[in-house]
Amino acid sequence: MKRMNEKSSSDRQGTEVAADSGNASLFARIRPKLQTSEFYLTVFLVIILVTLSLVSSDFFALNNLMNILNRLSYVLIAAIGMNLIIITANIDVSTGALISVICLAIAAIGKTGAALPVLLLSAMGIGVLLSLANALFITKLRIPAIVATLATSQLFAGILPITVDGSIYDLPTSFTWLGFDAKIGGIFPLSAVFMIIIVAAAAFFMKYSRFAKKLYAVGNNKQAARYAGISIDRTVLIAYAIAGALFGITATIIATVSQRVTATMGSGLEMTFIACVVLGGTSISGGRGKIQGTVLGAIILSLISPAINYLGISPDWSDAIMGVIIIVAVIISELQLNEAGPSLKKSDKQPRGSIQTPGSQQRKEA
Amino acid sequence: MRKKSLFGHLKHISFNKALILLFILLFIIIASINSNFLYPDYLIGVMLRNMIEIGLMALPLTLIIITGGIDLSIGSTLVLSAMGGGLVAANTGSSILGLAATMGIGLGCGLFNGLLITRFRISPLIATLATMYLFMGIARGLSHGDSVYTFASSTFLGNTQIGPIPLQIFIYILIAVLFHLLQARTTLGRSLYGIGLNENATRYSGINTTRVKYIIYAMSGLMSALAGLIWLGRFTSIKYDAGTSLGMKVVTIVVLGGTSILGGSGQIRSTVIASLIIAVLNSGLTVLNIPIDMQIIVQGGVLILSLVAYSLLNQRVRQKLIIKLAPVADNSEK
Repeated sequence: MKRMNEKSSSDRQGTEVAADSGNASLFARIRPKLQTSEFYLTVFLVIILVTLSLVSSDFFALNNLMNILNRLSYVLIAAIGMNLIIITANIDVSTGALISVICLAIAAIGKTGAALPVLLLSAMGIGVLLSLANALFITKLRIPAIVATLATSQLFAGILPITVDGSIYDLPTSFTWLGFDAKIGGIFPLSAVFMIIIVAAAAFFMKYSRFAKKLYAVGNNKQAARYAGISIDRTVLIAYAIAGALFGITATIIATVSQRVTATMGSGLEMTFIACVVLGGTSISGGRGKIQGTVLGAIILSLISPAINYLGISPDWSDAIMGVIIIVAVIISELQLNEAGPSLKKSDKQPRGSIQTPGSQQRKEA
Repeated sequence: MRKKSLFGHLKHISFNKALILLFILLFIIIASINSNFLYPDYLIGVMLRNMIEIGLMALPLTLIIITGGIDLSIGSTLVLSAMGGGLVAANTGSSILGLAATMGIGLGCGLFNGLLITRFRISPLIATLATMYLFMGIARGLSHGDSVYTFASSTFLGNTQIGPIPLQIFIYILIAVLFHLLQARTTLGRSLYGIGLNENATRYSGINTTRVKYIIYAMSGLMSALAGLIWLGRFTSIKYDAGTSLGMKVVTIVVLGGTSILGGSGQIRSTVIASLIIAVLNSGLTVLNIPIDMQIIVQGGVLILSLVAYSLLNQRVRQKLIIKLAPVADNSEK
């Protein structure tokens, strides 16, 4: 371990010239102690849980835990989809609007008394279609992901209230079955079972599938991936399609918790998903990130607002605390990226602190 | 490099003309359907007055996007600074202190973004996403979720008429001219393009890129604070969630103006024209009694059209480059 640190610090000195090294001496002392971001997140999570158990025993009441679990399940499922997209060095800021569209669509289907499998499959289908539309703008028209999805988010958000008048209500019990009644042993929500299956599948997929390697390759270095015979467009399209299906599942879980589905059920959620992914150590410039990190990020962010409540802090401060946690996590992960040395770094020559969108890398070298 | 900027220049002239054409076309269409739109009271008092805040924030954001950065936190900065000023003014009874607090908070927010982006080298997208949460969260915590009310200097900025024309329009024109001069006539303005195209090369050529970035993010914070004052004066109160969708609206304007999100190109002039287009669209569609949701679709549609047009235009320029500078073009393709 010590050897490794020495190596990386000497590697670092070589690259230090390029970077402006203001307070490097301060960080140089802390840096060797830094481990993986998963390690930090776990420590942080344990601290939250221990503090909570000391301050309030109510927090671990079964009911409360199950409520948190339900929220966690939909945040995490979508965050895994977002993780796939961000690994390819793209992003999706239309997710919130997209989820609202799916919620309303399946509410219209659910009004006829359709059962959960029908709802779930149609939600996934619509999710795939809309997400592919995003991906086509990005791959075929070469519009940077952030502006392409910014534009489609406006289309999605605008289409909604025109097709339905505000909200769909008086939904039958067949629609709300997942949200209210589908509990294993009367307590464990079915949505959490979905989540566990998807997390396991995603972890397996990211570790063993050949496609996952392509995702990392495309995110890391497009040019090299192309020379290695990977079809970049197809990889990005498939990543968006899988993410779309996952957004569909999330939308189903969100929509079925009430008898009234409104046009704004998903608005703003995309920022939460991106925050989970970033908190989990996935680099926004692509090519780096693990499912485990995203899982920890989602757990921490879902715990924060209930935890704040139980710690006796006014809920009005929860957004600010979330912001601080994200900033600290990103700073730690950035310091760690420096420690990892140039071999793991995406590209030293590339100016950091710029948005990495498809094509930006090649452009900057040109 | 020189060739490229020459082409970039030609490209921009045509793009600006296209934008002006679009503006005139929209104006004529809307005016011919409903002539109420042409009342000077409506044009100045509603159409222009409504776009001032967003237009003000779009100016520094253009500079930031030229460097390849982005600032998503402007909406939250607007709310936090206006709220801070309102609270200080309400507690001390001094409107001047409120004004100072607003501008100070805006400057502080901008510098904090600059610190994260330059010192900690966090990508601007992530840094400002996080500060968007943070600033909004602080505003929510400070106000306990309640509305904060306006104070004298804010009311003055947002609710004063000089003759028939609201004061904020003069403020906007003055600041837009200053930003145009900054972008087109100063070394700082030139260095923005350098940072957007190749940051390391710009740094090696002796430009203090860290300082440039601090300056533009600080300006973004200041302009958001000014917009916040005008907003608070216009609506007389502000709540913590007022700024949630503002950031994206402002990004839409800048991108519609042809500023590439990848950095290295863009002009303040185009952003001003794009602000006018969005203003005509918003108030024109209101005059035509088209529901607000349809307006969002139209806005998204216009954005997509401009992106597609811009992407096609870009490909054409690149094809020209391929013929003239084959080895460079091989790299710059896509």
